[in-house]
Amino acid sequence: MKLHEKELRAVYTDTLIELMTENSNVVCLEADLGKSSGTVPRVWEAFPDRFFDVGVAEANMIGISAGLANEGMVPFCATFTPFATRRAYDQITISIAYAENPVKIVGTAPGITTAKNGATHMCFQDLAIMRAMPNMRVYCPADVYELRSMVRYMAVSKKPEYMQLIREVHSPLFDEDYEFDPHKARVLDEGSDVTVVTTGLTSQFAREAVALLKQEDIHAEHIHYPSVKPFDVETLLKSVKKTNAVVAAENHNVIGGLGGAVCEVLAENHPVKVKRLGARDRFGEVGDVPYLSQTLGFSAKDIATACREMQASR
Amino acid sequence: MKIDRIKSREQLDQLAKEFRYIVTDIMCRAGGGHIGGSLSLVEIIITLYFRIMNVKPDNPRWEDRDRFILSKGHAGPTLYTALAYRGYFPKEVLLTLNANGTKLPSHVDQVITPGVDQTAGSLGQGLSCANGIALANKLQKKTNNVFCVVGDGESQEGQIWEAAMFAAHHKLDNLVVITDYNKMQIDAEVEKIVSLEPVVDKWRSFGWEVFEMDGHDWDQIYDTIQKAITVKGKPAMIVAHTVKAKGNVCYENRIECHFISIPDEDERKRVIGGVCAEGDEEPFHFNWTEGN
Repeated sequence: MKLHEKELRAVYTDTLIELMTENSNVVCLEADLGKSSGTVPRVWEAFPDRFFDVGVAEANMIGISAGLANEGMVPFCATFTPFATRRAYDQITISIAYAENPVKIVGTAPGITTAKNGATHMCFQDLAIMRAMPNMRVYCPADVYELRSMVRYMAVSKKPEYMQLIREVHSPLFDEDYEFDPHKARVLDEGSDVTVVTTGLTSQFAREAVALLKQEDIHAEHIHYPSVKPFDVETLLKSVKKTNAVVAAENHNVIGGLGGAVCEVLAENHPVKVKRLGARDRFGEVGDVPYLSQTLGFSAKDIATACREMQASR
Repeated sequence: MKIDRIKSREQLDQLAKEFRYIVTDIMCRAGGGHIGGSLSLVEIIITLYFRIMNVKPDNPRWEDRDRFILSKGHAGPTLYTALAYRGYFPKEVLLTLNANGTKLPSHVDQVITPGVDQTAGSLGQGLSCANGIALANKLQKKTNNVFCVVGDGESQEGQIWEAAMFAAHHKLDNLVVITDYNKMQIDAEVEKIVSLEPVVDKWRSFGWEVFEMDGHDWDQIYDTIQKAITVKGKPAMIVAHTVKAKGNVCYENRIECHFISIPDEDERKRVIGGVCAEGDEEPFHFNWTEGN
């Protein structure tokens, strides 16, 4: 089985097991959603002494992780995205970010990928609120190769970090040689008509959109941001100086996330028109990923439409 | 003079007197502060730092040291006084409490203050961090103790009880927690807001070994902490009965003592007078430049 035929959560678990084998300081924490992250039962069985399921107690998980990191351990703690961020936001702010305790927070099933769990579990705020936290880094891997490299990077970075973890299988965007660098966005397609900026799930959607547009002789430059913070300013500016038009798409509220970061950077450095695609300041609902991405307006089709409009208005 | 270990009651009494004066003085100079919950902890913090804890002030992050987590982070001024007296930094630094650019903020900060083991101030969080620290120390096969002080008002936070369950479940017997039970919180008496009672039974039912002590009695504090350290197979809780703003007659056991404001020199004199014996302007002549 090729790596990209695996679910992302399986690769998260594989990578954690490798890291825990190599480094006795790496520990894994869950808050009764380890089956969903993939670490239950495999990490628990492989390392019963370094796996801690704290139960349904996210605030405590964050504090315990902070204490572990304070003592030189490398805690990876995971739960659903809303509980990993907004539920324990003050604990993350004070015990981790302000105290500079390098905990690795993993938010599983980001945005619409929580699907049938519906609005209560569908977090469109995590990128915005985590990005607004000093000392915190914010990552959204788009495939298994990037995920694996990112988790390995996090184990040695000595920084507080938050990473979204989509659980399901996704098409490969990269290969075995991929090396994650938080300061480097990835140009997945070169073009000069419009810049498409995406992260995580929408990087998958935009691949399809860019292919569609090529058939119409519209050449989009597609930039994938594995790190929303730190944000690679240079790659965006270089592209926008060619295209002068941006479509930013994210599995998130249009307020404060990737599109927000893009607008901030461009407003200060090179003002151009930006079309933000994402949940337009609304909550989610139950549904599958195709339905939700179309309903909320950030599917491949929506990205292609926005690019055509940008192209037409040039 | 740097003091490492003290034993005699006279020395302890003198130290407590100086601590109360200094905590009051630096708060007055800073224009105010959390005097009540700082003064209720004077004997407990002195006992920990001068009679019990194994630390190296010249190497604050020494890996085998005993840890201290002040979960009720607003009592920082008493901890800072202990750290200064132990030699983590010069005593004059105490005068910078809450000044612009200080290393001594009103709530404890592990990044900027030498000797502070864990940042705290947003209540309810420190005990979870103490859990993580105690857990890490066990995983690392260290033999140190982890001490943590929580407030009584703070114990209304749900996270305290999440942490209580976890520590017992994981048998964190290297963890000794003290509740500063001064019976008051900002708005009123704890009993009037949301009662903790029966607090001893609560902790016992959560799987902890529980002790009670008079938090101002030197012998009880020392003996109880020593007993708590020897508990095996479960974490230990000491419910310390204390008096809020203990030793400052202007504020002792008064609800308004949680945070005081010192708007002018008259008020400063009045509040400093609260830690002076009758007839004395100052309890002793503390020389900030040379130290006592």
